[in-house]
Amino acid sequence: MDAKLKETILNPIFKGNPITVLVLGICSSLAVTVTMKGALVMALSVIVVCGISSLILSLLRNTIPSRVRIIIQLVVVAMMVILVDQILKSFEATYAIDKQLSVYIGLIITNCIVMGRIEAFALGNKPWPSFLDGVANGAGYGMILLIVAFFRELLGSGTLFGVDVLGWLGYTPNNLVILPPFALILLGCIVWVQRSVQKDLQEK
Amino acid sequence: MNTNSNTYTVIYTTIIVALVAAILALVSQGLKSKQEANEKADTISQMMTAARFATKADLQKMGNTAVLAKYAEEIGKAFTVGMDGEKIADLDLDKVYSPKDLKKQNYNIKDGGDVEIPVFIFKNGVTVVPVYGAGLWGPVWGYIAFEPASNTIKGAYFDHESETAGLGAKIKDDPAFQDEFQGENADFSVANVFDIVKGGAPKNADGTSVIDNKIDAITGATMTSNGLDAAIDTWLGAYSAWFNKNTEEE
Amino acid sequence: MEYISLFVKSIFVDNMIFAYFLGMCSYLAVSKNVKTAAGLGVAVIFVLLVTLPINYLLNKYVLAPDALIKGVDLSFLSFIIFIAVIAAIVQIVEMVVEKFSPSLYSALGIFLPLIAVNCAILGGSLFMQQKDFANVGESAVYALGSGIGWFLAIVSLAAIREKMAYSNVPAPLKGLGITFITVGLMAIAMMTFMGISL
Repeated sequence: MDAKLKETILNPIFKGNPITVLVLGICSSLAVTVTMKGALVMALSVIVVCGISSLILSLLRNTIPSRVRIIIQLVVVAMMVILVDQILKSFEATYAIDKQLSVYIGLIITNCIVMGRIEAFALGNKPWPSFLDGVANGAGYGMILLIVAFFRELLGSGTLFGVDVLGWLGYTPNNLVILPPFALILLGCIVWVQRSVQKDLQEK
Repeated sequence: MNTNSNTYTVIYTTIIVALVAAILALVSQGLKSKQEANEKADTISQMMTAARFATKADLQKMGNTAVLAKYAEEIGKAFTVGMDGEKIADLDLDKVYSPKDLKKQNYNIKDGGDVEIPVFIFKNGVTVVPVYGAGLWGPVWGYIAFEPASNTIKGAYFDHESETAGLGAKIKDDPAFQDEFQGENADFSVANVFDIVKGGAPKNADGTSVIDNKIDAITGATMTSNGLDAAIDTWLGAYSAWFNKNTEEE
Repeated sequence: MEYISLFVKSIFVDNMIFAYFLGMCSYLAVSKNVKTAAGLGVAVIFVLLVTLPINYLLNKYVLAPDALIKGVDLSFLSFIIFIAVIAAIVQIVEMVVEKFSPSLYSALGIFLPLIAVNCAILGGSLFMQQKDFANVGESAVYALGSGIGWFLAIVSLAAIREKMAYSNVPAPLKGLGITFITVGLMAIAMMTFMGISL
């Protein structure tokens, strides 16, 4: 693999993380991080949707009229998400998974990471790097989601993936932690830690 | 080619939008019957969970065919009633009311339209009625099961379309919340049949819920709790005439 | 009377930012100074005010079951139609402003495309679908209130950030980090409005 592709994959996970550096996809990271399970489902779907829609729009990139590009981008992304939903819903084995997922459909469509990466990367690059960029950004997003969800579920419910962790120690769940403002404060702390390590990201 | 000319822009957009609409319509029509079969089995398993035949997880493991077979075995009669408590029509025993059907009736109850709401009575006498209303993000609904010819609740099951995971979604995922309804007596003489209260309903010394028609709200999910509270009050209110008649007679 | 309570409620109690945390990305990214924040705020008010009534009419007369043709339920299209309407309005606004007022366009221009992915806008349409408003007027009042609520939220954050530029914040926390924490604290303060019914 050449250096440029490697950079495309690694950059979004650390140095150019969509949440802590580019400030994209905040709304959904507040809504779905109450439980690890919700965060994981959301992370996986964003990886899939972001990768595939980057690929499709990168293939179309030379034909899209610039004046209507926003409509075309959103329509393609929304179609992808709805298609996945409809297909999962029609099989007995996947129906239960879809019921979990359908909660996030609106959040996936309006997730600005998907739109942001299409606009910033996929419209100017070849399909394969665009696909990798989409997947890598989804992964960088998912990583932050899981970190936030870890603390919120552990402190807010005393469980991890629904399994009791702190309850038997007599821990009383902290209700503030499961409210969205706490997720913002946690994100602030994650940014703090990240920028203490990567000093070049600090703002003046 | 000039991709910025007006003609090209209009034609391109029209083609893409038409294509997307066609694909979605095709998929949605093509998969409709399969989706409805899944939805029906899911609805039935929710009713059977409320009536405490099995837990939701067990029913899910059984698979659609087995769930339908068990339902056919247990269901006694099903019919619809109006606001005045009079029976309107018998229902086919394999007919269920999906959330979409409930939505229509919810409009009728609120706007004073022609209400025709279903009652399901199992062979063991347990009566199941649905409730439906708006949560925070989308509809919430559920099924409440009553002991034979009484207003004592045997069990309840609630579901939702898009409440927040870990908060509002607990109405579905937290069996402890649903269990709180067990044993409560629905008081059909008042408008406010149930109260879902914040800050804790009174508890007995052993931790079980006091029978006082007060249910603990879910922390951090005020809107969902309020929505469910309103849904239960509205729907049980609509059923009150039928319940009053039915429990007196027998 | 109903309109007034809906209006006040949508500004404070159902505030898009502090109660539902919608439209966070542009809220955090474009709140460095009051002037640009106010520009984006006005744009959001305008787009909400135009898209919500349109989506309301589409939802009621085209998408709802039996609305267009008896027995046809088009509600599976609602997401895509709402999104398309929003994107189209944003694009039209962009073109109109560019043509008739180049100075406003250059002041506002870069924020306009951002609005299409502002979840507050789609959220507004979805809430509208939930709330079953009785007529177009109510949906417009709700749109105006939500927009103003968003406007107030972004302007007040921008004002705080302008002042904060002079405070002695630990270097790694400067900028984004302290903004996250500030918004969290603001949201906790705004929770006093939660659950108030008018």
